[in-house]
Amino acid sequence: MRVLVVEDDPDLARQLKSALSDAGYAVDHAPDGEEAAFLGDTEPYDAIVLDLGLPKIDGVSVLEQWRRDGIATPVLILTARGAWSEKVAGFDAGADDYLTKPFHTEELLARLRALLRRTAGHASANLACGELMLDPKAARASVNGEPLRLTSLEYRLLHYLMMHQARVISRTELVEHLYDQDFDRDSNTIEVFVGRLRKKIGPDRIETVRGLGYRLTPLAGETS
Amino acid sequence: MKFKVPGPSLTRRLVLLAAGWSFAVLIAASLLLTAQFRREFLARFDAQLAEHVESLLARTEIIEGDVVPPEFTDGRAERAHSGRYWQIAEIGPDGRIAVRVRSKSLFAGDPNMPVPPEAIADLGREPTGTYEYDTIGPAQEPLRVAAKLSVLPTPAGNVPLLFIVGEDRRPVDAGARRFAATAFIALILLGFGLMAAVFIQVRVGLKPLFDLRREVAEVRKGRADKLIQSYPAELAPLAEELNALVAHNHEVVERQRTHVGNLAHALKTPISVMVAEAGKKPGVLADVVRRQTEAMHGHVEHHLRRARAAARSQSNREQTPLEPVLDELARTLERIFRDKKVAVDWTCPADLAFQGERQDLLEIIGNVMENACKWSKGKVRAVAEPKEAGKLCVVIEDDGPGLPADRRTDVLKRGARLDEKTPGTGLGLSIVDELARAYGGDLTLGDSALGGLKVEIILPRAEG
Repeated sequence: MRVLVVEDDPDLARQLKSALSDAGYAVDHAPDGEEAAFLGDTEPYDAIVLDLGLPKIDGVSVLEQWRRDGIATPVLILTARGAWSEKVAGFDAGADDYLTKPFHTEELLARLRALLRRTAGHASANLACGELMLDPKAARASVNGEPLRLTSLEYRLLHYLMMHQARVISRTELVEHLYDQDFDRDSNTIEVFVGRLRKKIGPDRIETVRGLGYRLTPLAGETS
Repeated sequence: MKFKVPGPSLTRRLVLLAAGWSFAVLIAASLLLTAQFRREFLARFDAQLAEHVESLLARTEIIEGDVVPPEFTDGRAERAHSGRYWQIAEIGPDGRIAVRVRSKSLFAGDPNMPVPPEAIADLGREPTGTYEYDTIGPAQEPLRVAAKLSVLPTPAGNVPLLFIVGEDRRPVDAGARRFAATAFIALILLGFGLMAAVFIQVRVGLKPLFDLRREVAEVRKGRADKLIQSYPAELAPLAEELNALVAHNHEVVERQRTHVGNLAHALKTPISVMVAEAGKKPGVLADVVRRQTEAMHGHVEHHLRRARAAARSQSNREQTPLEPVLDELARTLERIFRDKKVAVDWTCPADLAFQGERQDLLEIIGNVMENACKWSKGKVRAVAEPKEAGKLCVVIEDDGPGLPADRRTDVLKRGARLDEKTPGTGLGLSIVDELARAYGGDLTLGDSALGGLKVEIILPRAEG
């Protein structure tokens, strides 16, 4: 899962980045409205955390611009302005959730999880694919009740596959959603990670669809 | 603020001034008139007396050295102390006066009518003239007397005779007094009439001034945001200056409010950073930082609300239609609580409007609705309707667990939170209560037919 954090305060941005990375997200940061508008338009984020009081272009305008450009990425507004008039304006501009400062990091993470789950169309907080389970809140996964030991990138890969299970996902899409902007991208590394993940969760759960990408499915006999 | 003792009212000053001079003029006029009238009256009286003395003189004869007056002069002169007297005296060569004959109205024991020496002197200088003077009659009545000198031939030679006719002058005085009284009353009435006219004139003349005062009061009370009436040339510049002052005042308050708002909002990011940083590593320092940042957050919220209240006191003439606000809030809240699938069912007459700012209405209804959504099992109902006497009522109900009657006053207390597990600052309902009261409205909690809490909000309704 890849998230864009738009926040002009460097300390808060650093905190948000580290909290989100710890929770298993690939995080990009935009310090002003202009860069935010550009990144949001060009990169396929899974969610955006947007501050409203931004240099250059204010947050609501950036959001309106994204929505005009057809960017449907869920946006969580994170702002000091907590009046209802401002909330209503934020939602009208196309926000999906609204959190006022000061906030607790746990609440932000919970709201973000809910947002991602809702976007992917999942009803429950925990993801399941047969006997394969993933708890986004704790950033943990298990197979047949056995906890899995995953690196951060393996976790992200699994999380994304589970979010979009039964769908063929291209390598490019995976690259775009697993790595942040600054990472040196190489789609070959995806193969390496898929290989490692297969070793941990069993070889048959991730199917390679030649020329197209990968698909996560429950094992035959398991109910999804 | 200490009030200055008000100076004398402008109306009183103008009326008193007018009263002062008009009464002075009126009194002078009445004195002059009365004096003139008395003089005229007396002149006529004197003319009559002269006539009498003339006729007495003409009809008096000297027969064998005796002065023989006419047989019958006039009825009154025959009756004792009648008020009409005459006497004929001879002036001796030494100037002494010897009365020869007098009217029967002068009784036997009565003294002669006195003749002042000036009369003799005056008549001596001008023998054909008549001399009038005042004296006291036999019945102690004031007399007006006309004297005339004549030289009648006697066997003993020419004898200078002094003819005197006197008459009670009280009718003259009474007439003059009556006239004076009538004139006085008439002038007093005229004076009061003038006063009333002046008062009306001043009132009408100063009406723009009173209008100005009323308009300024309206502005101060927030019922108008500037003076709109057109004023006469003398007041127009003042009204303009006042408008400029009001506008300036508005601007200053607005600027201060914006500053306070910006400062408060700007502080929230650092507070967030500190809260998050302190939450990472437990310890004494983290505890202190957390407590202090919480206190800071409290101050920030408090002053933000104060700034909003200051803006509200400036003017609440803004009218906010209720329907779009309910619509916006219902849509927003359904979006916020879409995981719970909360349906906000609202009804509102299209022409219903709130007398106040949109921001405040959003805050009031938004907080109550959010509370309802938070606690509900999926159903929230909002009904807005007009009430009597410029009020409107919004009832917001939910199908949640409701609130026991004994806890209801607690929620309205500042910072009270019933369930720490449900996120929120806990200030929701107390802020709403505070805001509604600031608008002269009210908030009451009750049981809903849906099963949960019913919140009834009374707010001022915009007329027309």
